[in-house]
Amino acid sequence: MDPSKASKKRKAVTRDIDEEAGVFSGDELNPGDLDGALSDNASESSADEEDSNSEIELVDDFSDEDDEEDELDSDEIPSDNGGLTKDSELNDVNQSDSRDMASDEEQLNYRVEKDANGNARYIYDEINPDDNSDLSEVDENANTIGNIPLSFYDQYPHIGYDINGKKIMRPARGEALDALLDSIEIPKGFTGLTDPSTGKPLELNNDELELLRKVQMNEIPDEGYNPYEPMVEWFTSKQEIMPLSAAPEPKRRFVPSKHEAKRVMKIVKAIREGRILPYKPPSEQDEVDEDVIKYDLWADEAERPDHPMHVPAPKLPPPGYEESYHPPPEYLPDNKERKAWEATDPEDREREYLPSDFGSLRKVPGYENFVKEKFERCLDLYLAPRVRRSKLNIDPESLLPKLPSPEELKPFPTVCATVFRGHKGRVRTLAVDPSGIWLATGGDDGTVRVWELLSGRQLWSVKLSDEDPVNVVRWRPGREAVILAAAAGDDVFLAVPPIVDPELETTSMEVLDAGWGYAASRPAPSATEANKKSTPQWLRPSAPLADSGVCIVIRLRYVAKSISWHRRGDYFVTVCPGSSTPASQAISIHTLSKHLTQFPFRRRLKGGGPPQTAHFHPSKPILFVANQRTIRAYDLSRQLLVRIVQPGARWISSFDIHPTSSTSSGGDNLIVGSYDRRLLWHDLELSQRPYKTLRYHRKAIRSVKFHPSGRYPLFADASDDGSLQIFHGSVTGDMLSNASIVPLKVLKGHKISGELGVLDVDWHPKEAWCVSAGADGTCRLWM
Amino acid sequence: MAKIKKKGTSGQAKNFITRTQAVRKLQISLPDFRRLCIFKGIFPREPRNKKKASKTSTPNTTFYYTKDIQYLLHEPLLNKFRDQKALAKKVARSLGRGEVGDAARLEKNNAPRLTLDHIIKERYPTFIDALRDLDDALSLLFLFATLPSTTHVPPKTISLCQRLCHEFQHYLIATNSLRKSFLSIKGIYYQATIQGQDIMWLVPYQFVQRVNGDVDYRIMATFVEFYTTLLGFVNFRLYSSIGLRYPPKFDTRSDENGAQLAAFTLEGRAVGNVPKAIEANNTKSNGPANKEVSKEVQDKVDKVIETAGLDQSEEKGAEPTEEPTDAIDRFEPAAPEADTLPQPDLSGSQAGELFAPFVFYVSREAPRGPLEFILRAFGCTRIGWDEVLGDGAFTHDETDSRITHQIVDRPALPESSLPAIPAAKQNGAPQKVRPGTRIPGRTYVQPQWVWDCVNEGKLLRPDLYAPGASLPPHLSPWVKPTKGAYDPRASLAEQEEEGEAEAAEEESDEEMEDNAGNKEKTDGNADEESDEEEDDESVDGGMDVAGTDDDDSESGEEDEEEEDEDFGGFDDEAASESEDEEETARTQHQKELEAEAAGLPFSSANGGADEKSKKKSSQAKKIASQKRKEEEELERQKMMMSRKKRKLLEKMQYSNKKQSDEAAKLRSKRRKIEKGSQK
Repeated sequence: MDPSKASKKRKAVTRDIDEEAGVFSGDELNPGDLDGALSDNASESSADEEDSNSEIELVDDFSDEDDEEDELDSDEIPSDNGGLTKDSELNDVNQSDSRDMASDEEQLNYRVEKDANGNARYIYDEINPDDNSDLSEVDENANTIGNIPLSFYDQYPHIGYDINGKKIMRPARGEALDALLDSIEIPKGFTGLTDPSTGKPLELNNDELELLRKVQMNEIPDEGYNPYEPMVEWFTSKQEIMPLSAAPEPKRRFVPSKHEAKRVMKIVKAIREGRILPYKPPSEQDEVDEDVIKYDLWADEAERPDHPMHVPAPKLPPPGYEESYHPPPEYLPDNKERKAWEATDPEDREREYLPSDFGSLRKVPGYENFVKEKFERCLDLYLAPRVRRSKLNIDPESLLPKLPSPEELKPFPTVCATVFRGHKGRVRTLAVDPSGIWLATGGDDGTVRVWELLSGRQLWSVKLSDEDPVNVVRWRPGREAVILAAAAGDDVFLAVPPIVDPELETTSMEVLDAGWGYAASRPAPSATEANKKSTPQWLRPSAPLADSGVCIVIRLRYVAKSISWHRRGDYFVTVCPGSSTPASQAISIHTLSKHLTQFPFRRRLKGGGPPQTAHFHPSKPILFVANQRTIRAYDLSRQLLVRIVQPGARWISSFDIHPTSSTSSGGDNLIVGSYDRRLLWHDLELSQRPYKTLRYHRKAIRSVKFHPSGRYPLFADASDDGSLQIFHGSVTGDMLSNASIVPLKVLKGHKISGELGVLDVDWHPKEAWCVSAGADGTCRLWM
Repeated sequence: MAKIKKKGTSGQAKNFITRTQAVRKLQISLPDFRRLCIFKGIFPREPRNKKKASKTSTPNTTFYYTKDIQYLLHEPLLNKFRDQKALAKKVARSLGRGEVGDAARLEKNNAPRLTLDHIIKERYPTFIDALRDLDDALSLLFLFATLPSTTHVPPKTISLCQRLCHEFQHYLIATNSLRKSFLSIKGIYYQATIQGQDIMWLVPYQFVQRVNGDVDYRIMATFVEFYTTLLGFVNFRLYSSIGLRYPPKFDTRSDENGAQLAAFTLEGRAVGNVPKAIEANNTKSNGPANKEVSKEVQDKVDKVIETAGLDQSEEKGAEPTEEPTDAIDRFEPAAPEADTLPQPDLSGSQAGELFAPFVFYVSREAPRGPLEFILRAFGCTRIGWDEVLGDGAFTHDETDSRITHQIVDRPALPESSLPAIPAAKQNGAPQKVRPGTRIPGRTYVQPQWVWDCVNEGKLLRPDLYAPGASLPPHLSPWVKPTKGAYDPRASLAEQEEEGEAEAAEEESDEEMEDNAGNKEKTDGNADEESDEEEDDESVDGGMDVAGTDDDDSESGEEDEEEEDEDFGGFDDEAASESEDEEETARTQHQKELEAEAAGLPFSSANGGADEKSKKKSSQAKKIASQKRKEEEELERQKMMMSRKKRKLLEKMQYSNKKQSDEAAKLRSKRRKIEKGSQK
């Protein structure tokens, strides 16, 4: 409880004990009061001393009530207990007062003395506050309810009745106790600290506490100090009229100093003599010297790596001939150029000057745009964005593919040397015989004709069929026999044209006839087999045909459009692409020596319609079969599908295999012609897709052919647009370089009849000549 | 999910910064920024994708590289600029108060001095780098050395430029490192090779430069400020590398007398009483490597000083005449069809000997400055000139017997038009020579002879360059003959494409036939005119009169017009040409038959001409067919190329074609001219 508060409270209670507050506070409470059961002595004491001091009594009562009200109002101490304690205090006071009064009456407990002014002054003795009252300790507050459970009073504010029948109010609980504790006065001067010098608890008296408080409150700790004392004017604010001293102004105040003059004169003299310069002379010398470089900037030069973002300014190009003061006359502009130059905007001019000839140096005038040009260069240096541009400085020739020169590529067919006329209607097919002397053709008129290649003379002709065209003729490879295979209608004919010397003819006949014996010795096919397969029969032709040289007829029962011989001449494969042909009989391999026909495929080739054409591999036992979209390679010995080639064409018309395929280290090369105007070069080592796709024809390609010998890397295609195209297609031995294809020549000569142009093409076996069969009924030899 | 990248935080958006942003970042004004950029050599960039780099849609923005600008932030000059700005404010304030003296004092004492040394070191970390970038510096400084002083161009700057340029020229003279020079209509181009770097610059002719209004001299001045510092350092380094003291002694009085180059005196570094401090400084900065050099050069310089005691004004280049045994011999192809192998240019020692044995005298009308420089740079040490051209000559006496060559640039005039000889003064003054007279024993050449000799690297026939002679064309030494380009040195036949001449001839023949009469007329005109011209010249007495030129061009124009008209007529006839040809062939055949019948040999001028023309036409046909064949071949090759490559090829062919067209045009012009001169 802080002292100020305590005093306030006390003031509210009594006025007369103010001056003795310190004493009073000392024994305000005795421990007995704490109980609360002790209370209510106020009424008792007041009753005791009603007579003695009624005034006080009244006041007391009043104050008591007041106090109680206050207390309740303030809610500081909610119970009567507070009131009780106060009452007890008052009681004490009253008691002491009453005693004092009593003692006053018995003996004067003061002395009268004179103060400074001579007035009487009462000095009282100090009051001895010892408590030796002998009041009985009757417990007047005892509860009188008897031995009943207190819980009966639970809902009441009181807990019973005292001896006087007054309600004993329920004692306060926690809060009241707290309030009580608050009200407990801590021993006077208690600080809770120990004095380090004495070891006893440090106790501070009131003055010291006051001092502390003042210090704490930022007040001046000195008791008597008045910070607001009235100002004492040491020097008057009013001006004094009379001077303090009457001494006159000294002379030195207004006479120039001689000493100073002496010193100035000294400087002046020094200046006059030039010992002192009055001001620093302008250092012209320095300024000049500043422009002169006096040290080597690059004394310790170190190369800095070039930053990629650093772009040095490009140098100006050196002047050309036309900038000369006396250029060659051809550089001078003529009138038209001069006018054009003058007409263009200065910014658009290619050159900022007009070349002119001054003849001699003395006539050369000043160049009027010199400053401007230099200024523009300056602007370029700091304003123009710089960009690194890789300048295209390649010789355009180097971009062109390295092609062999046309001289190297020669020979290739260029002109039409012979025209073979004789066929009525289209010539569908032709073939040059392996010796390169004869040409066999077959056409719509159903005849097969053999011509002398160089002269164009017809040597032999046979009409194979009246209504069906001859679809294909092919010579048997090999020089030892001359055998021509031709397909017309449903049959395949093998003939030995009577054009050769008899010796050769007989050997040829022998080759053909060898099979008869084999066929005879062969066990006749069983009925079931015959039914199932219905193998084509090798028959002797009718007499007129036999007379004209046809030896064997094979009845395929379906129209064969393609014949291809194996390189050894023992086998040939025919393909019947007709849609009515059963899949199992579309491709047949014929063995010449055994007069045997086999159907290697039972089912139709997958993906792309009926088979179109087939060829044997030039060196390996592989058969390439093309249907409309793909070419498949079958290993005949192992009976396996080796490879599928996908040219990507919609309808393959023909294909050919490079004659050197797989003989050297290089892979197989194929050319494929298609009805959708494409010529495709396949390198089977590279991919199943084409290596090159050439589209130089405007119409469908009917036929493609490699030159059969390895000597000339040529190939040709024949197209419906009436032209043949000759290409150079060299295949190198090493795997690193691809085949180089060079277009060489377009051969035009065949006339287009009925949307068809050139139907077939073939090469001379040894020379770089080719022959073509046209829809116009002619064949042409190109050489 | 990956974090979404914020736009404009990386890549081009961050690498480039617009100019406004840069100026704002540096907190300087735009002119200051400009100066800073010029000094630091910072230039705008072109982002690969402008759209990505710019935050705005404004298309015309200047972009700088952000790193460049960041780098500028630490530039010491930036603070100098700020000081300058503060000072400018102070000065403006005192001027506003009318305290002019104060302002002047402020200006004088507090102006911050810009030093560009560190920038030069920064921009050119090695000396070679500096040499590489010297082209523009020299061109601009040589220009400023000839400019009149104005408010923008203070005389101090001009004199500084002059000094630096002359110092540089002196170095070139001393080391004979000038290689080529070329008289163009703009000025004189020089090319020097210093430490393997080719430096080319352009010096204007000595005329007052016309100044256009749209030239900002502040920008030029900024460049000049930078370049003067650069050239100063370069000169120092060059001088010290050959053991000379820098700066060379400069004689102000002789400079005022127009001595130009001769106002400078080169000194060896250790000659005489060189101040110790500078010597120490130099050796320290040059390192030990230079010490040896300087010692070596020192001896040489000493020797030179001994030998050239009489010629005080100029110390000769350090090259005494030595026999260059290890020089590369010149190989000339003996046969025209052989390949020419490239050979290196002439070396310094060779260049130093070109004019060494001669004494030149430069006439009054020839440009003394460039001639002196180029002659000295190519070894000539004794050059005299007329008194009016200034001080520093070997001799002012034109009659001096030591003179071997006199450079004259005046037309040959008839005796009568020459002024009388002024009365010769006896008292020691050089004797006046009557202009136009020739003193025997010396060669008279026009100035171009010097330049052509220098470019060829050998002495040319002086009679082609005699005074009054029409000079051979002056050709640029820098144009290398390339394939397909026109080369004026080579004869027309050498570079013509096959059949071009024939085709042209044919054309021109027809042309000629059509307007033969007209031609004659014009020729007559031309003759008359030339006569007139000569007359004019003789009357004028050597003065160039613009009037004659005008007449010439006018008459030329007339001719052209006439020709044009004729051409029009010819075009109409061209259509019926082929028919005519057939007709003539038929008639000729008829004539032949008739002659045969008459038993006479058929020979007539007409027939001969026809035969010739026939031959020609057949040749032309052959050529045409060949060309067609070539084209076919090209097409064939193109067919095999991919589309991309084909486009590239066409692009290249376009530029090549442009070049070849130009060449063809020049050839045709030359053909015309040659034909005209033959007549």
